[in-house]
Formats: sequence, structure tokens, C-alpha cells
Amino acid sequence: MTLQRTVQVASLILFILLLAGAAFRFAGWLPHDLFLQLDPAAALLTGLSARIWLGGFFAALSVLIATVVLGRFFCGYLCPLGTTIDGVEACLQRSADIPEKYPPLWRRFKYGLLIFGMTAALLGLSLAFLVAPIPLVTRFFALTVLPVFQQIADLLLQAAAPLANRFDLTGLMYLQLPLPRFQWQWLTLLLMLLILAGSLWQPRFWCRNLCPAGAMMALFARRPILRRQVTEDCVDCGLCARTCPTRAIGDDPRSTLHHECIVCQTCRRVCPTQAVVFSARPMDRTRRLPAFSQYRRGLLTAGVCGVGTAALTLSGARHLLGDTGTRRIIPPHLIRPPGALPEDDFLRRCYRCGACLAACPTNTLQPLGMDTGLTGLLTPVITPQMGPCDPQCNACGQICPTAAIRPLPHRERIWAKVGTATILRQKCLAWELDRKCLVCDEVCPFDAIVLKKLPEIKAPVPFVIENRCSGCGFCEHHCPVEGQPAIVVEPMEALRLANGSYQEKGRSLGLTLELRPRMRRPEGQPAPYPLTEGDSGSGLPPGFSE
Amino acid sequence: MPSSPGRPFASNPASWPCDPMNRRSFIKRNARLILWASALGFGIRLPRLAKASQMPDIALATGDRTAATRAAVDLLGGMKRFVKPGQKVIIKPNMSFAGDPEDATDTHPDVVRELVGLCKEAGAQRVRVLDHTLRREERCIEGVQKACEVHGDDIVQAVSRSRFFKSAGIPDGRQMQETEVMGEVLEADVLIAAPVAKSHSSAGVSLSMKGMMGLIWNRGIMHSRFDLHESIVDLASLLKPDLVVVDGSRVLSTNGPGGPGRVLKRDTIIASRDMVAADAQAVAMFEWYGRKLKPRNVKHIRIAHERGLGRMDVENLRRQQIQVG
Repeated sequence: MTLQRTVQVASLILFILLLAGAAFRFAGWLPHDLFLQLDPAAALLTGLSARIWLGGFFAALSVLIATVVLGRFFCGYLCPLGTTIDGVEACLQRSADIPEKYPPLWRRFKYGLLIFGMTAALLGLSLAFLVAPIPLVTRFFALTVLPVFQQIADLLLQAAAPLANRFDLTGLMYLQLPLPRFQWQWLTLLLMLLILAGSLWQPRFWCRNLCPAGAMMALFARRPILRRQVTEDCVDCGLCARTCPTRAIGDDPRSTLHHECIVCQTCRRVCPTQAVVFSARPMDRTRRLPAFSQYRRGLLTAGVCGVGTAALTLSGARHLLGDTGTRRIIPPHLIRPPGALPEDDFLRRCYRCGACLAACPTNTLQPLGMDTGLTGLLTPVITPQMGPCDPQCNACGQICPTAAIRPLPHRERIWAKVGTATILRQKCLAWELDRKCLVCDEVCPFDAIVLKKLPEIKAPVPFVIENRCSGCGFCEHHCPVEGQPAIVVEPMEALRLANGSYQEKGRSLGLTLELRPRMRRPEGQPAPYPLTEGDSGSGLPPGFSE
Repeated sequence: MPSSPGRPFASNPASWPCDPMNRRSFIKRNARLILWASALGFGIRLPRLAKASQMPDIALATGDRTAATRAAVDLLGGMKRFVKPGQKVIIKPNMSFAGDPEDATDTHPDVVRELVGLCKEAGAQRVRVLDHTLRREERCIEGVQKACEVHGDDIVQAVSRSRFFKSAGIPDGRQMQETEVMGEVLEADVLIAAPVAKSHSSAGVSLSMKGMMGLIWNRGIMHSRFDLHESIVDLASLLKPDLVVVDGSRVLSTNGPGGPGRVLKRDTIIASRDMVAADAQAVAMFEWYGRKLKPRNVKHIRIAHERGLGRMDVENLRRQQIQVG
């Protein structure tokens, strides 16, 4: 295996390990978002749309600076998407050595896509999730590939369980892998398939023609210090030009489009006379190739398209971006993760890489559909029916590469209220059917449910104490009512702070968000808040009867 | 022969050679004789039964929770009576709430560890501590898992996948006639219930009978479709522990099952073969919401008694108490 392939495979494995580390919760000290931080397009579009400079952008900037020296090494060696494309092409046995049917002019589209994304971002609409390569490939692996492998692994464990039991391997027998399930996984797969489909026409179709990160790196790789050079030994056979996966070699094999070259060094390997070297010593007679400035008109068009797309999107009734005034539709299930910035900031920053979804231990975080239009597509929402949001967990905030979800220390995290529970009395077993059910009270980590005995109803009935409720969704998740649960969390009263303390803000609003163990009292001391009220009908404590 | 009417013997005491005997003393003496003879006879022919009859129905041990656990089981004849060498044992503590031991929402890890140790001493081939927890699994079982490490790895498991549960009919069920039970529990030789003593705002108390809900898959249905108390008894008719050890070292006397509530320190371990009796004893001996209540105040205990699953009239049962350390 060549050096390039070795580095590619190692890099892809590292990428998957980092993701799996987030999903399986191991090696918490690793930078699980490393690859995301390296993506210059994601950084640029996020920076423009949110008008911010994040510390993580330095990583992307250093990739660009390194490109000045090494050329587009990132594309050829590190990019997980590039490696995936190469892998699929290898499976398709797609050889580069076939005549190109399509003009190299298609390459300009990537600059167009970059400009398109930039102008849209200037209007506040971040399309990084559609065009930036690393968020896209992260989402693909996190939400489509890993869950599939986890399902398969679980099936194998299931098959092995009887054997494990026989040999007393209790740990193996009861090994319960996290089995995340995500909605919209087909959309994620479809986007990836579209990218891969390009390889049917050209090797690395995406990288050559569409990738805006590639476009940015190309701007820095006009004439890298370490670059392809051709010595006098060249016999003009043209083999290098035909096998170059990005067609970076012109009709004259001595010429190189350095900004298209991904430094894979295939040309050096195939050259029958070893006339190709990658070196800093100037020895080539490469003609300067036309710069992209001659595509000005095309780029202008792309920019206008970006503005148009953003404007059209923002004119939709469902989007929650920018100043929507009082005219807005907030879907009742739009419950953002704890610590999510105010909705406008959040949408500008979130590039839907899916890292938070993969890291969520209860699988409550799900990608949103078109409920708030294109601006909210695939953004994370808490879905209590899938799982509750653990009030002591901050996995999403810790991994979010753009701090669209703020990383919060433990004390702050508990105060990051995401919504409020409401009881739908007409569905509640206690309210409507006189059944003794207290599941919501039993599972609430904040003791925000109180059961009261009302004279006209047989069973004690639940009430939500709003200022104790954090919206964690334990109640909704465990409600035994099928279909629509009888207690639901809605984004009402969620704390969305761009900065500052959730605890202070919560206190000032009169909230009391404390986990149950903290409220322990010594024997005999009276309760500081009303205990579950007794069954006044029988005069006995709750649950007891004559 | 003339005689005064009504008192044939008293009228003629001289006809008796020894002490005068009336009807009452005659019956008394003969009854005693029969009792002694039968006791002796049983003693000769059925020594094990005789020994068992001396054992209490309910054992109460107070003091250090670890020592008290052992003492309570010993009062019942020791773990050897319940676990035979080579058997597979399942212990079902309450591990649902991930609280600190002081919260009294879960069985104390020390009690579980001691039970595992007792089973191993009795020669159990395998002991597993299982629960279908309510809160996040790893956090719920953390304490007990750590405590039980001395007896081996992986003993304690939180089972939360449906594939570990098997459908089982409940022949004596009145409302709930089938459910899905942890497959291993159905196959185990010995089942030991080890609940913590706590109140429960729907079920009154959550003890060994209510605790069996931690061994099934769908407990929501017991709230939603069935009467909770009736279905608890239905479930108890299927899952009858061979031994019940109630951890009354701390009692969550109010606001159970999740707390926070008033926690009473009672340092008491209750053991019995009869789950109804064990639960009834716990109800009778601790205060609930600052009050003394009767076992019949808990509907599922009352129904279980009526259906013959066990006895709640603890005052008529043999109870033995011991103080340790």
C-alpha cells in the first residue's frame, strides 16, 4: 500500500474512532470534533453567518496555511470524505485511466458553490450543512453508518447470548450496546449517494467540481512550495495526465494545475522514466494556467444565487432566523438541547454535523425535519418519546464544534431549562380514567410533579410545578399512555442564553431547579414544600386504603 | 341405682382411687398427652419438619445492616435451606433510582453484597443480581455493582433490552394473564427478593411484591390497563421468591418511591419465605407518613392474603427477633 493510502486509511480510522468515542463515551479527553475543526469551508461559512471568530477556526486556518507549503494534501490524505470517495471508487473498480467526457470547466463550480454559500451566509443563512464536506461526512458516519453497525453488532451479541450464558460470561451475555436510532437517516444517505454518484462520471467528482473547502484550499495552492515538478527525463507519454484522479495535469505532461493537485503522487508512481518529483526545488517549466478570475461572471451569478436563496428561504413563514417579529410559528416539539444559544444564533452556528446526536447517551436528540423550513433542517431537537434528557449530562454541549450548544459546568447544566411539561388531562389515566398512576411523579428527577387528591376524582391527580420543571422529558418518556402521551414537554419558558449564567437567570425568574438528592432532609424536619398530598377521602396517606 | 341428677361423679368421690378429676382437667390432660405424643412422634419420624416448625415465619434482625442480613437469614435456618449447591440464584434488589444510600430509594449495597456472599457460601453455582431499572442503567446499578465486586465481576446487571425478556403466562392472574419476564428469572433455581422498605404513592408501599415489577418488561400496562394492586398480586402469583429479605436499615417513610422523603433509620432486616408476610411485617412495624398502619391498609397485601399467596396476619405468625453488633 502506498504512503497516501496508508495515511488515508489511518486518518479515516481515526475519524471513525473519534466519532465512536463520542457515541460509546470513551476517551472523553480526545478532541472528538478534530476533523470538523479542520474544515475551512465550515469555519468560513459559520463565521460569516454568525459573525463570529471561534478559537476552533485557527485549526482550519492552519490547514489553509499548510496548503501554501504542501498543496491540497488535506484532500488527498486527511479528508474522510475524500477517502470514502476513493474507497467507493475502488469498489466500483473505477479507473482514472479513461477519457474524460466532461470539460474541465466544471471545476469552476466549486468556486461558485463557495461564493453561493458565502453570500447566503452574509444574509445569515448558513448552508454549511449542505456544502461543507466534513459536517456532511460526519453526519453520514454518525447517523447512518455507525447505527447500522451497532445494530449488526447487537444481532451478533444476541446470537452469542445463549453460549455466553452457558459459559457463565455474564458480562458478555448482558452486554447492551447503545443502539441509537435517528430519523431522516435516508436524507443523510441520499446526500451522500448523490456525492458518490458523481464518481460514475469522474473520479473524485465532488472534490474536483463541487467541494467549497477544496475551492478555498485551491486558492492557497496556486503554487505550493512542495509541488509537482517534471525533470528532463519526461518522454511525453502522457500516462500521468491520463491517470491523475483530479486531471490536474494538462495536455503537456510538464504542466500542472497545482490548485487541482491533491498530492496523491500517482503521477510519480506511474511515470515510466521517473521524471516526476514532488520537490521544492524549481525545475519545472509549467506554464501558469489561467486563474479563476476569468470566471468572474459565473462567480457573480453564484453570488446572486446565494443571496436569492437566502432571501427566498428567509421569506418562508416557518423559518426562525433573523428578526421574525411576532409572526412566527414555533412547533410545539422544537425543544432545543440544554445550553443551545438563542434560536437565531443557534441556527447561524449549527452546521448539522450530527456530533451532538451521536454523543447523546439517551438518543433523545434527533435531527429535525422541515418543521421550521430549510433553516432548521437536520438541527438537533430533544424528542422525549425517544428518551429523556439527562439533567446531569452535557455531552452535546461538550462536543459541539461551534458552541451552538454551550458547554456547561455541572451546576450550570442543571439550570439550563429546555422547556416545560404540561399535562393533557383528557389523556391522563388519573385525571380521566380514575386510575392510580403516578409514573410522571415517580420518574421526575426534579420533583416537579405533585399529586393532589381532589374531591370529585377518585385517584390522586398530577400537577406540574412549573418553576421546578426543567423540561427534561422523563415524564413524557415514561408516561404509560400510548400514542400521544398524557404529559408533554413544550419549549415554553426554555432558557436560551447567548452568555451569562443559567443559574442566575433561572433564580431571577423564580425557578428552583434542583435534583432530588440535594433536597434530602433529616428525620422529623418538616418538608420545605408540599409533600404528595394524602388521600383525603380515606384519611390515609397516598396509596393506602381502608 | 339412685343418683342425684346432673352430677354423677361429684356425688360419689369415694369411687375414685386417686386425685379427683373433673371433666375440664381430664380434657386438659389428654390434650396435653396427645400433643406431646404427636410432637414426639413427628420428632422421631420427621426430624426436618420438626426443626422447621421451630423456625420462625418471620425473622427480624436489628443492628449493623451487613451482620443483620446474615443473622436474619440464619434465623430462618440459614441460606443452605434456600440455596442448594450447584443452583443458580437470582437476587432482585431495588436499584431503580440511582440515589445515595441515605435517600432510601434503593436497597443498600451492603445488604445485596451480604446476600450474594451467603448464596456463594451455600454453594450456589451462579448468583446474578438483576433489575430493570427506571433511571439510567449504569448510574442505577453503580453502587451495588461496586459492593458486589468482591464476589466477582459482572454479577450485577441492569437489563433494559426487550430481547432478555420472555413471554410467560400467569395461570392465576385475574387481570394480568401474561407478561414478559426476564428469561433468566424463569430458568433460575432460586429467586431472592431484596427490596428496600419504602412508601409508594400509588401502591402504598413498594416491597417484595411491588418489586417484582422490576423483573418484567412492560410495567406501564400495570398502571394503564389494569388495577395496579390487582396486577401486582397477579404478578406475585407468578414470581414467588423463595426468600424475601426486606432492607429496613433505612425506611423511606414518605414521598416514595422516588423521594425525597422522610427517611427513618431503623437498622432492621426482615426475612421470610412468605413474601406477603414479609411485606406485611414491614408495613406493620414501620411508620408511614408518621402513622402506624395495618397490613390490610395496603390493598395488594390484602388481596394477596385473601387469594392465599401468603399471610398478612403477622400477629399470628411465629416471629423471632435478634439483636446484632
